[in-house]
Amino acid sequence: MSGKLAIGELKDHKRIYAIIILVIALTMTSFMLENAYLNYMMQVVDDTTKLVTADALVVDPDSNLRDLYGTEPELEDAGRIAREIENKLPGYETSIRVTAQGTYGLGTEGEAVDGCTIQGIDPIEDDKISGIGSKIVEGRYFIDSDPILRGHTPLYIEIEGPGDLPNFVYGTGEKLLEDEEPYPIIVGATASKMHPSVQVGKTFSLTLSVSGKESSYATVNVKVIGLYESGTPTLDALMWFMHADSLREIKRYGEVDGRDWRIPGIGTFKGYNPITVDQDRGDVVIIKAPEPLHQLSPVGHAQEVSEKVEGVFPYLGVYNWHDFLVYIAGSMQDVVTIMLWGSIAVTLFLCGAAIKYVMDSIIMRKTREIGSLKAFGARDRVIFRIFLYQGIIIGFVAGILGIIFSLVVMNFVNWYGLSVEFIAGTQLQIGFIVNWLTLLVSLMLPVTLSVLAAAIPAKKASMLSPVEALRKGELSL
Amino acid sequence: MVRKDNIIIDLDCISKKYDEYGVVVNALNNLSLGISSGEFVSIIGPSGCGKSTLLHCMGLLDRPTSGIVSIEGKDTSKISGKEIALFRGEKLGFVFQNYNLIPRLTVMENVVLPGLIMKKNPLELEEKARKLLKEVGILHRADHKGIHLSGGEQQRVAIARSLINDPVLLLADEPTGALDSDSSCEIMDILLKLNKNRGVTSVFVSHDIEIARFGSRTIALKDGQVAGDTKDKNCDFEKVVKSFRNNYNGGKRLSG
Repeated sequence: MSGKLAIGELKDHKRIYAIIILVIALTMTSFMLENAYLNYMMQVVDDTTKLVTADALVVDPDSNLRDLYGTEPELEDAGRIAREIENKLPGYETSIRVTAQGTYGLGTEGEAVDGCTIQGIDPIEDDKISGIGSKIVEGRYFIDSDPILRGHTPLYIEIEGPGDLPNFVYGTGEKLLEDEEPYPIIVGATASKMHPSVQVGKTFSLTLSVSGKESSYATVNVKVIGLYESGTPTLDALMWFMHADSLREIKRYGEVDGRDWRIPGIGTFKGYNPITVDQDRGDVVIIKAPEPLHQLSPVGHAQEVSEKVEGVFPYLGVYNWHDFLVYIAGSMQDVVTIMLWGSIAVTLFLCGAAIKYVMDSIIMRKTREIGSLKAFGARDRVIFRIFLYQGIIIGFVAGILGIIFSLVVMNFVNWYGLSVEFIAGTQLQIGFIVNWLTLLVSLMLPVTLSVLAAAIPAKKASMLSPVEALRKGELSL
Repeated sequence: MVRKDNIIIDLDCISKKYDEYGVVVNALNNLSLGISSGEFVSIIGPSGCGKSTLLHCMGLLDRPTSGIVSIEGKDTSKISGKEIALFRGEKLGFVFQNYNLIPRLTVMENVVLPGLIMKKNPLELEEKARKLLKEVGILHRADHKGIHLSGGEQQRVAIARSLINDPVLLLADEPTGALDSDSSCEIMDILLKLNKNRGVTSVFVSHDIEIARFGSRTIALKDGQVAGDTKDKNCDFEKVVKSFRNNYNGGKRLSG
């Protein structure tokens, strides 16, 4: 009966309640759109940053976030660390990476010398963690028959002091090292757009930093076997992938057979010294943690993973994707999230206040009706429910409308295909990811708000003395 | 004299004081009264004499400051708010000056409303409501919204509504106060007929002496006290009220 009377009350004041419902619905539409877009962007950013960091990574304690761009010193006992993480943290998967920074200058008109970060990966283990294989958009991923090792060490040069960078470094690119078989490499699609000559099948020479803190460089030939796209063009332009063993060979992570040749004025030339790579050696151990049951807070989950790994290796450098994201973009993402929630909170608070004051005003004018119901035997809680149910209905209808509106907008945007222009003409597709949490919050937030807002006037109405209620007020508006 | 065991409602030395802006108003002053089963009682008196307050105390809408209100022998001063609400719904029927129909509900929905509040069977209530509406001559408008009815028609609906829970006492506060004289007589005829045919014990308040004469017993109030209590339909109430001070009985029951 309270429900029927509540619906009748809503019908009686349908105009004012329709406006309130519409405002809440539009607020929730805005919330859902922003949240779903943020989810999508987070997904894109996650996909990209996780290509570098996975859920978390372990590096040498002397490394900082800047070093994640390929200048980490070698991580001592990388193989043992990886195995220990898998043993001590059930469900955790690891893979060892070797990293370097690269420089290339193709000499073609309009293409300046550029740099890149090389991630040396285990094609099978790393793919399980980073999913890089699925991001190939042209060419192919690594295969077993790829010539990942040349069987000898490359051309090295040790820089003797500041500013002593020999000219030939800039000569890399089109100037290939003679008779050198190229290492296969996967390049970001954005880099390919910026440097049109960097295409699948292209062979060029690349100069790599082969030690983090010392000034040691190696020049090698590379051949582009595939282009990948992560979703964030700026990182695609920078981050390239090679086989970990290729980089181990380049960085001499193994047993070197032979001796160095020192060329006065230039540096040390290693010559054709075959090496046996040691797959336990590397610069980074990337970690994938088991999927949490509820992805309520991706940032919280990342911190949790970091803390667990730090628990195992308190003396090592442990970073997660959020640390890296904050390093790249500052706290921009977090600020946007806080601002989104802040603006939603303010609008909903105003809607709540509107519901309360509209109901207060209605109750003031409906006291005689309340008095009559009390005279007919209605208990306080019956009156309370009449107004509380109105709150529930307002919130529920607003929530459902908000969800419907936002789904319509999302479908329209998806159908129309909006995108944002990025560097070098790359396009970032605008998309939305609606998860169950967003849906639940979009429904429950307005319901909770309007129930809370209605509870105060509902209580006031229920506490009215029947005589006072009958004496004042009109019967209808 | 009416026998004590026949008394439906008994007011024993009740007083009601209000505090209005710091001034204490004695709306009822040590008033004692008994209404017996089957009586058709009118309460009359000048404005501010306490008629409505008396009716509210009788209807358990308000608690007296002191004194006891007993309904069917049960002392209502000692029961909880929840029980009072139940008591009102089950034992008492109310008719208001402004009808107080819920405007958005149909006539039928208005009539069954007190029954639904008491959680009675909706189908049985509807059946009963039809009979009551027929009795008050408004069945043909059962599906109309209350707001579309004339004042007289609305009051008929209100009377039917007041009887849906078979109350032991029907309380009407100025039931003709908002009606023209023809409609007023029609409403009083209906109330009288219900009293005669169904034996509904009724108490109604009126400021109109001619309307009050419909009562089989008339109680005159002045200054929150019973100034007169008679079954003489030809009684000069104005004279009774005017001479009340000279004959003040100290709050003792005059009749009943």
